[in-house]
Amino acid sequence: MAENAPPRAWLRQLAFVLLALAIVFLQLLPLNTAPDDLPYPDLLLAFTCVWMLRRPDYLPVVTVAALFLLADLLLNRPPGLMALLVVLVTETLRARAPDLRAASFWIEWLAVATAVTAITLGGRIVLSLVMLPQAPLGLTLLQMVMTILAYPFAVAAAWGLFGITRPAPGQVDALGQRL
Amino acid sequence: MARNRDTGEDYVAPVRRLLVGLIVILLAAVFLVWRIDNPRVERLRAEVIDAVVPPMDWAMAPLTGVVNLVRDFQSYQRIYEQNQDLRRELQQMRAWREAALQLEQENARLLDLNNVSLDPALTFITAVVMADSGSPFRQSVLLNVGRRDGIVDGWPTMDGIGLVGRISGVGDRTSRVILLTDTSSRIPVTIQPSGQRAILAGDNSTYPLLEFVESPDSVRPGDRVVTSGDGALFPSDLLVGQVALGTDRRLRVRLSADYGRLEFLRVLRAPPTEQISDPGSLLVPQDDGTGAPALSFGLPAEGDGTTGADEAAGTGAATGTEAADG
Repeated sequence: MAENAPPRAWLRQLAFVLLALAIVFLQLLPLNTAPDDLPYPDLLLAFTCVWMLRRPDYLPVVTVAALFLLADLLLNRPPGLMALLVVLVTETLRARAPDLRAASFWIEWLAVATAVTAITLGGRIVLSLVMLPQAPLGLTLLQMVMTILAYPFAVAAAWGLFGITRPAPGQVDALGQRL
Repeated sequence: MARNRDTGEDYVAPVRRLLVGLIVILLAAVFLVWRIDNPRVERLRAEVIDAVVPPMDWAMAPLTGVVNLVRDFQSYQRIYEQNQDLRRELQQMRAWREAALQLEQENARLLDLNNVSLDPALTFITAVVMADSGSPFRQSVLLNVGRRDGIVDGWPTMDGIGLVGRISGVGDRTSRVILLTDTSSRIPVTIQPSGQRAILAGDNSTYPLLEFVESPDSVRPGDRVVTSGDGALFPSDLLVGQVALGTDRRLRVRLSADYGRLEFLRVLRAPPTEQISDPGSLLVPQDDGTGAPALSFGLPAEGDGTTGADEAAGTGAATGTEAADG
């Protein structure tokens, strides 16, 4: 079976891993060590949403969990929490992806906005339940809004760099199976 | 539904659901273990960073260099104004240099009179900043020195001029510095010349807050802020910055260290501080051998010499308490 599978699927999976590592790498660059007034968007989350809604078959759940756990560890966040929330929320996105395929972009964006809001607020609720110190609320909300606003750009970048589009109704893959 | 027409789907879906469930449980367990047993998981985090970040250094250093080069190039456009500013500053510096030379001579004379030898314990290790925290909510940097170079948790870190932060998290080849601007940074400081004690509390802004100032009236913007050495956390008299009045009328500190560009840092070898290596435990009453708490009264009369030393200790404690009562 394995030799019959098209190699491009593996390449696409690898593409997301490389993209995610590049994003974490760029965030770690010591370019600006003074605090910012305007937090930058969580690009890793935005791109994960793009892949989940457009080509969920290129992004296995194990990859999402592993990448976000690594990001949690590297970016000094509570380990496992963000990864847990992202896995839960993106799995619901994955389940809804076939229904959203024919919907307009605005509906898709709305779904992503809901998902990002759920992750942000869920994280804050869990942190307050276990009585951990939290980042300022304003800063967190600002980053949430930035992430939602970055989604269309992430869609454009995914389309331009990796050719990630929503499969059209009736489109077939290399083996002739319907997507 | 049309998408469930594949026959294989019926076998894949439950297995997949099981996999997702397992991953969710695993991640929740990681978070809970971190919450319960923080030091051990943080050590794991330090090891992961240690394994991941140094191999990326070959790509990070040139990229950072190129970006900084571009920024410097942009600053060439304002070169004339900069030149004027620099001349003016140089003029002021000459005056200061004169003052410093005189003070140095005076200081040398006084030291000679006192026969003082400076503390040789306060040496430093120079380190390069490899990466920052990568998150807008955390203010920290990663250094390229670690346990291998003898770095210990809690040591203060300075740039050429002022205090930058303290070491928190040491891997084998890397260590993390929590900057003074981080929300979890609390440093005891003294404000000169009034000598007021205060806590410098980071709040994720460029100018950290001064908290618990006893009489804010005696503190004026421009006063020097140095570490106080309280709690043996840091050596005393490390320069931190100057007092500034924030737009919200609260006392803040303009840090002396150049936070816009942290490249090389000095890690000071400070005297050893208390290590936190295990999660906290309850403080329970000490058992003094007679099965009763050490602070209970009336026990000395029962002594029959079998537990002599313990009994003596118990008696001491008891009489001590009575004395305190009376």
